[in-house]
Parts: sequence; structure tokens; C-alpha cells
Amino acid sequence: MTTPAIPDARVIGGEWIHRDGDHATLTITKCHNCGSTWFPPRDVCSSCASADTEETTTADHGIAYASTVVRIGPAAFRPPYVLAYVDISDVRVLAHVDALEALPPGTPVTLRVGPIGADENGEFSSYLVAETAGGAR
Amino acid sequence: MRPVFVAGAAVHPFGKHPDLPAAELGYRAVQDLIARTGVAPEQVDTGFGGSTYGGSLLAQRVLQRVGVSGQPVFTVENACASGASAVHLGWQAIAAGTADCVIAFGTENLSAFGGGTLPLTTADLEIDQGMVMPAAYAMRAQRYLHDFGATVDDLTRVSVKNRRNGAANPRAHFQREVSPDDVEQSRPIADPLRLLHCCPNSDGAAAVLLCSEDFAKDLPTARVRMRASVVRSGRFHTSFRDMTWPDITERTAQAAYDVAGIGPADLDLVELHDAFSVAELLHAEALGIADRGQAFKAVAAGDFDRDGRVAVSPSGGLLSRGHPVGATGVTQICEAYWQLTGEAAELQVPGAEVALTHVTGGGIFGVDNGACAVHILTTT
Repeated sequence: MTTPAIPDARVIGGEWIHRDGDHATLTITKCHNCGSTWFPPRDVCSSCASADTEETTTADHGIAYASTVVRIGPAAFRPPYVLAYVDISDVRVLAHVDALEALPPGTPVTLRVGPIGADENGEFSSYLVAETAGGAR
Repeated sequence: MRPVFVAGAAVHPFGKHPDLPAAELGYRAVQDLIARTGVAPEQVDTGFGGSTYGGSLLAQRVLQRVGVSGQPVFTVENACASGASAVHLGWQAIAAGTADCVIAFGTENLSAFGGGTLPLTTADLEIDQGMVMPAAYAMRAQRYLHDFGATVDDLTRVSVKNRRNGAANPRAHFQREVSPDDVEQSRPIADPLRLLHCCPNSDGAAAVLLCSEDFAKDLPTARVRMRASVVRSGRFHTSFRDMTWPDITERTAQAAYDVAGIGPADLDLVELHDAFSVAELLHAEALGIADRGQAFKAVAAGDFDRDGRVAVSPSGGLLSRGHPVGATGVTQICEAYWQLTGEAAELQVPGAEVALTHVTGGGIFGVDNGACAVHILTTT
């Protein structure tokens, strides 16, 4: 599946998303003082308040920690929609899932960019995940 | 620190009260409290009112109607723990000796928001991505079932137990038992949670009178001792987190046990924050009244029934009472007060002497909950 081109798309979290062909990666912060990792990235570590931090980039794939199908939720996301917490490069991020059912815990997933909802101004997008074709890499 | 007592409790019945704004509901609960205790307005040293959606100066708008004006009065916001946080601040004032008599209350009107999931007002990345509270608890549930071999039937047992308890509570939003079939046939909300695994959005208010020992002696009402009052915030991080272990509850409860010199084995009853049925399993384990991964077995064995090893939510919990956010923590303390004073009528846990109340909540990213409060009450 390819990442759809979204002309003039509004991308939630877009300033932290890097497109890598069909895949995507995220900017995260690593603290040199205490080792904490953060998403979204930040100037000052929220564990130890050190400014000795570095921006780095996640992998383009991770593991679903937990997942659900939201059947009652904000209309902009067009319920039902699937969410998952995904563990990726030492951070856990909430992401929409391109699927019809919840992912079992431990499912390998790949990150990309795609539409997650629509409002009066049309579709908006963000990073999202789908089960990795062929399983874990 | 001085001993702190609860010497009165009042609840405006929870339910759908679309025509009663939060301040009106709060006024009715506080007025009832004053009528029961006979406290004169000038005897109240300070007041704290908890609410999440009630608006600016809510505590003044409530307390000034019963003559408590001029004194220091504060409106407290801590999401689901707002009311319990108001009680905690009152506890601090009595314990520190800066007040002898405090009114603490919580009130909320959620009908103003219509149906559906609660509005999460704190815009953050997860909310921008479509996160709602049922989804957060649904994922906790999926993981709990996965990790410990529980099933959806175990979630349903919590709903059935708490609805059975609440059927006898005249203050509860829902006063009707439900069958396992009712739960399984109810509308799906966020897999695996169905409607009857979720507490309702409700309107209501509750109030307590906190006081010193000397002050309590002159009152006509029975008193119970507040052995511990602890509030904690969530630990913020964005790395991996075990969502089956609400560490905020563990930390808050442990601090309360330490202050009270009381342990989980001493508890006769717990009023627990069962906003969703899975929450009873998660928090029971974090409170130490069940072993890790075993709470679902305790529910199935009847350990948490009213006449079980430790009664969990004998008032019906949030699943029956409903959840007027800021009022919940205070109404738990009211229910515990009536249990310990032997005034709980059909809800009475036989021989109840030690009670714990637990409220936690607040959906912001990076923490398991925003705020948690635990209170421990004893008869002496």
C-alpha cells in the first residue's frame, strides 16, 4: 500500500513526521543526562529538566502494545476507527490503525502517513500504522 | 498533625438533572449537610469545592447561599479527583490546626454536554488523534485479558456485581440490577467494552463536614476518623508503560497506608473508581486487595461482594451511582461515612470499621492518570 498523496493536507503532528518512501518515521528527543526518550520532542527533558538533549529519529516499524476499535467517538474520526498504542524506538505513541479489527498485543506494525479523519475543511492526516506485511522484520 | 474527623455527609441523588446547574446541585448538597449537622455559617473556617466543568468561583457560588461568605473559599479542579482533592485540602487545614471546621463538596452537571464520551478539554496530541476515555480503558482491558488470561465475562461480572449493589442505593443513577446477558447485549463502545461496562455521565453533588475532635464533640452527628488523605499526580513519561498496573494508584494507596498505619488486609470495604469495569480489576490489584493478575478471580469467587472478604463498591460504584466527575470522590467518602456509622441501611457491610476510598482520573497523554486520591476512614 502506498502513502496517499494528500494535496494541501493538514497533518496532525506533521512537524515531527518524516516520510521515507511509503513509510514514515518520527522525531523524538533523547536526554543525554538521564536517558529518557520523548515523543513529541522537547527542548528540556521532562524527567530531569536537563537541556542536554538530542533530536533523533525512530524506526519505521514497531510493536502494538494494545489496541481497540472505537465505536463511539468524535464524528471527525468517522467511528468505528481503530487505535493502538505502538512501541517504537523506546517511545510509545498512539496511532490510528489501518484495519477493521483491533490488533492483538505484540502485532508488528509499520508506520506511514495517511488520512485519519475529516472535518468541515476536508480530510486531515497523521502518522498511522498497519500490520507489517510478512510479520516482523 | 491533629486527628481529622468526618462529622456529616450529604448527597444530592445522582442522575440526569439537566435543569440543575452544578452550583444548584452543590447548594442542595451543602444545605442538606448544614441541616444534618446544625453547623452555623460563621463556624465554618474555610470551604473547598471540587468541580471540573462547574466554572469559575463555583465554591463561592455554592457556599455563599448558605451564609459561608467572607471566609477563605477555593474551587478545586483535578479531573475525576476534583472532589476528593477538595476534601484533601480540608483535611490539611484541620490536620495543620489552621481550621476547626471545613465544608468540602463536589458537584457536576454533565447533562450540559449531551450524550457520548466526555469532552476532554486538555488538547494534546492523543486527543487530536481521536483518543477518548473509553478507548484508553479498552486498551487496558485488552492487555489485561491478554496478559492474565481473563475474559470479557470477567469484566461483565464486575458490572453485574456493582449494579446489584447499586440497586439498593437511593442515591444511585441506576438502581436496577443487570444480568450478564444485558451487559453482553449492550451497545459496543470500544472493544472489548460495551455500554454496561462503562459508567454513565451523571449530574449530582456531595458534601462532607470535616472537623477537629473538639469541634466534633459538640455536634449531634456521629463522627468517623479520617486516618489518611493522600493525593498524587501521574508520573509523566512517553516511553513504554505497563497499562495493567496503574502505578498512580499504588503510590497513592501506599502513602495512605503508611500514614494510617493500616494495610489492605485491614479493609472492610473499598469504594473504588470503577469508571469502567476493567478499572476495578486494575485498581484492586494496585490497592493490594488482590494479587497481581488475580482480581478477576477474586470477583468470580465473590471476594468483593458486600458480604465477601472485602466489599468493593458496596454503594454500587461509578457503574451504578454514575460519575458526576467532581462529585465522585466526595460521594465515596459519604458512602464510607454511612457504612462506618452504621447508617448505610440496605447497603450496610456487616461490622464495617475500616474503609478506603479511591478515585483517579484525567485523560492526558504521558501519564496513566492525571490525579489520584485515597482516603482511609475508621470508626475510632
